[in-house]
Amino acid sequence: MTRHTDDDGSAEESSEDDRGNGRGRGEPAPGVPEAGRDEQPSIFVPDDGEVPESDAVGARDSEAAAGGDDAAARAATDGGVESATGGTDSTDLDPDAYDPVDVFPGGDLDLREGADSCYKCTSCDTSCPVAEVDDEFPGPKFQGPEQWRLKRKGDHDIDESITSCSNCMRCDDACPSSVPLSQMHNEARGQFVERQMEKLSVEYIRNRLLANYRTSARLASMFPRTASFAMNFGPARWAMEKVMGIPKERDFPEFATETFREWWKARGGAKVENPDKRVAYFHGCYSNYNTPEVGKAMVRVYEHFGYEVMVPPQKCSGTPMFANGMLDDARRHAETNVENLVEAIGEGADVIASCTSCSMSLRQEYPELFDLHGIEDLAEHTFEAMEYLRIHEDLEGELDAAGGPDEERELAYHAPCHARNQGLARQAVETFRDVDGVTVEDVGDSCSGISGTYGWKEEKYEKSMEIGEEMFEHMEDAEGDVGMTECPTCAMQMEHGTGYEIEHPLQLLEDSLGA
Amino acid sequence: MDRQVDVVVVGGGSTGCGVVRDLARRGLDTVLVEKGNLTHGTTGRMHGLLHSGGRYAVSDQKSAEECIEENMVLRDIAAHCVEETGGLFVKRPEDSEEYFQEKLEGCRACDIPAEVIDGEEARRREPYLARDVEKAIALPDGAVDPFRLCVSNAADAREHGARIETHAPVTDVLVEDGEVVGVEIEHETGPGKRVHREPGTTEEIRARHVVNATGAWAGNIGEMAGVDVEVRPSKGVMTVMNTRQVDTVINRCRPKGDADIIVPHETACILGTTDEEVDDPEDYPEEDWEVDLMIETLSELVPALEDARTLRSFWGVRPLYEPPGTGTEDPTDITRDYFLLDHGDRDDLPGMTTIVGGKLTTYRMMAESISDHVCETLGHEATCDTADAPLPGSENPARMEELMDEFGLRSPVARRSGQRLGSRADDVLDEYDPNPIVCNCESVTRAEVQDAVDEAGSDLNAVRLRTRASMGNCQGGFCTHRIASELAQEYPEPVVRDAEDELYQERWKGQRHALWGEQLSQAMLNHMLHATTMNRDGDPANLDESVDFDAFDAGAGSPDASGSGSDEAGSTGTAAADGGRATGDASADGGRATGDATADGGR
Repeated sequence: MTRHTDDDGSAEESSEDDRGNGRGRGEPAPGVPEAGRDEQPSIFVPDDGEVPESDAVGARDSEAAAGGDDAAARAATDGGVESATGGTDSTDLDPDAYDPVDVFPGGDLDLREGADSCYKCTSCDTSCPVAEVDDEFPGPKFQGPEQWRLKRKGDHDIDESITSCSNCMRCDDACPSSVPLSQMHNEARGQFVERQMEKLSVEYIRNRLLANYRTSARLASMFPRTASFAMNFGPARWAMEKVMGIPKERDFPEFATETFREWWKARGGAKVENPDKRVAYFHGCYSNYNTPEVGKAMVRVYEHFGYEVMVPPQKCSGTPMFANGMLDDARRHAETNVENLVEAIGEGADVIASCTSCSMSLRQEYPELFDLHGIEDLAEHTFEAMEYLRIHEDLEGELDAAGGPDEERELAYHAPCHARNQGLARQAVETFRDVDGVTVEDVGDSCSGISGTYGWKEEKYEKSMEIGEEMFEHMEDAEGDVGMTECPTCAMQMEHGTGYEIEHPLQLLEDSLGA
Repeated sequence: MDRQVDVVVVGGGSTGCGVVRDLARRGLDTVLVEKGNLTHGTTGRMHGLLHSGGRYAVSDQKSAEECIEENMVLRDIAAHCVEETGGLFVKRPEDSEEYFQEKLEGCRACDIPAEVIDGEEARRREPYLARDVEKAIALPDGAVDPFRLCVSNAADAREHGARIETHAPVTDVLVEDGEVVGVEIEHETGPGKRVHREPGTTEEIRARHVVNATGAWAGNIGEMAGVDVEVRPSKGVMTVMNTRQVDTVINRCRPKGDADIIVPHETACILGTTDEEVDDPEDYPEEDWEVDLMIETLSELVPALEDARTLRSFWGVRPLYEPPGTGTEDPTDITRDYFLLDHGDRDDLPGMTTIVGGKLTTYRMMAESISDHVCETLGHEATCDTADAPLPGSENPARMEELMDEFGLRSPVARRSGQRLGSRADDVLDEYDPNPIVCNCESVTRAEVQDAVDEAGSDLNAVRLRTRASMGNCQGGFCTHRIASELAQEYPEPVVRDAEDELYQERWKGQRHALWGEQLSQAMLNHMLHATTMNRDGDPANLDESVDFDAFDAGAGSPDASGSGSDEAGSTGTAAADGGRATGDASADGGRATGDATADGGR
């Protein structure tokens, strides 16, 4: 299986071209999404300057061939809501099928309906780790439903406190009434950054750099040793804090001397071929540039269970971009991801992520914020790595048979907020509960406090550490002195607060299975 | 009170407030008396439409012309009460094309700026409009806040020497020697600001002239004076949606009919209305079918209404009037014009004039015409300046834009505060630092509440009307107690409690007509919060007799606790440690030791 072993360099270039003529792109390749519908005029806008019908149909040839008419084929992938892109007469549309993504021109989502669902119970505010330590932060209820209800046509002012939301998304989980809080926050933050944030401000540039970690990481990993040294070089860090607002207390993660993708290429791609059991691995940026051992563990574990692993071209999942309101950046990356992952799904694969924020993004934020062709399919076919094995394999039986790792392991496990939102907070503890020689201790349900890029901002550093305090204490109290978590930035925080070495559950799984 | 004033105006609605302002500005010594709050009657129970005149452009062109003229005046003098939303008369396929053309021609004949737009354009402006809306006439309808408008008029009148008495119902019209010479009023809680629990007093106010501006209630005042005023009150329902599905006034373009208008108002949308003649403006049935009709029929224009959250519904009574002998059958056909009845000419009872009919949009014009009449009667020479003099709060509209940066309020909060206060924002917001938000749904800050308390005393409904506090989606569930707490510095506890109860009840009244879906959840949550968390359904402080606290708990190990043997005493001992619950019984009956005075006594 060498089809997907191209390094992302080439994928990069082709999509850069796409970006150049984003709105009027020509003939898309089969399986490639059309220009995102959220960049198309809303369904009610007169048909001008949109993708010609023939192109749109061409783009869907594969589905049409798969049976069913055009509309049916598309409805299957986009939640049943028709768009204007097919040239459909808008009066034919199902009036019940309002999708906020469709309603408003210019890509703004109309989420006032979410304000209807809120009955002010304040569960979200009490679950918010930032509100707990930051008296100035009005909390998710204000940022979401209240602010949306107060907004009027012509109002473009979003309160700047939206930039204090760390996007941990705990409020989504806390709400008993299904208010789409994080969707409202993401949209509000996007509007704030686009319309109200000074584009030459240090804060904007710093946030943009943090959000586009993939870009910096790609550069750094060309000279990994130099970069690892230079980024953490004392005087350089002092300057970064002064000039960029990046706290000098934090250590930049080290860059691997061989990225995951380089390893994969050198390895010759997949060792197992199996058309019946295929997974497409979304490694994300961190496993590629910083911790390729996590990616390697994923490949070995999945091959152990007889899966054919595909590694499609991919970019950033968008998590840090959402958290910084850089929705345009996130959307650009999403186009590449959706295109390639949907293609893999077409070849029978499910999508597996080892980072819980990446899987969260593909599953929840993508369909909530963008309307790319196939994005709903992708959301439905995406799983976290251990979750998927627990569903489809007898993981515990297999672990039992393998008899545990060579040496005793004691780990202090922290469940990331984004794992919690996917219902995965207990899976690592449960999976390893009966494995001989392995003790996994849950260090509690607090947030680690870093929330991706939040803790990387100088003005947020103290609060980030205050939120993390409870986790640090519980880690110290736990038996083990190695930490474990699925989330790369939680791992940074855990390491930063305790000095522990941090592992990913996949690595423990690899060890325990002898994969 | 022996002193005679020039004029007593009865009725604190838009007309009465307009008249008292006009007369005060002309230099007359004037008193306004109102039986409830300002806007208590019909003014506070309307959908807040600032007419462009389009609605009357076919049937009643005189009214239409007055509307467009006054519409433009109010945009100037009452900028902080008006939102320039614009309006659309939309045509669905089944609506008559002929009428659409008549409407358009009518607008042009009345100088109402009107533009025809196609369905696509209408949906571009209002994306939630139904997809089969064919076309629309766009014209300058707007939204007006009747509360703010009346309060500003009254405030300006007071600045010009008038006296404003609310919660002061007229109990008699004084007639001496065949002439009206004043009114007798009852101050529910004494003169001046309303403060709960203050004793009531009565007062005679003698005046050279009495203006009866009580709208649908005009017949009652007429009766006290011994004259007939044949008002034909007609009720209409208005349903308040939680959010604004539209930002433009949406009218159905058809001759007449119920449920044909949606007005975006502040954070909400108001759906209206019905038109049903009633016997008594105080007592008429509020019927469910009316609410259902609003939602069903208006969903034809805006389908999203069907599933959207409804906050409450309220009813108002139009003060329709037609000269005796006209005999119109259907209330929708009765003219919307206003009538000035000089009882000297009409009934040979000088000293009183009644004004009936009309509508809020033309309130100032009505006030001008009655003030002209009063001045003429009294031989007072002065000119009217109310069309040019801005109302307090609208002196400097540009100022509103600067406020956001200044007061450290969260942007949408500042925007809404600024819009409510207009140019008074500086003075009001400056008072408090920090200035926390008291009502979250409507983003009303402490400074605004305190400002309203200064004006309205312990009357929290009056505070509500001035600030919108408690008018959002929780309907007071999360803020009545906070608003009431703002009274605590100034008023004793029983006053604060009464004020709180009154506001909470008022909020409940309208919600009774919205108890399904989300608002039902909200009402239930509010109930649980107030009944259980705050114990307001059985608060010892509200009991008449004092509480026998000894019956709850005599303390750990007390030999005669609850006086029923050593076993019981043992469980009481436990109760003392865990907040009053007898743990032994907790599992069996859901946490309450029923039948045991230690847990439940005192109720």
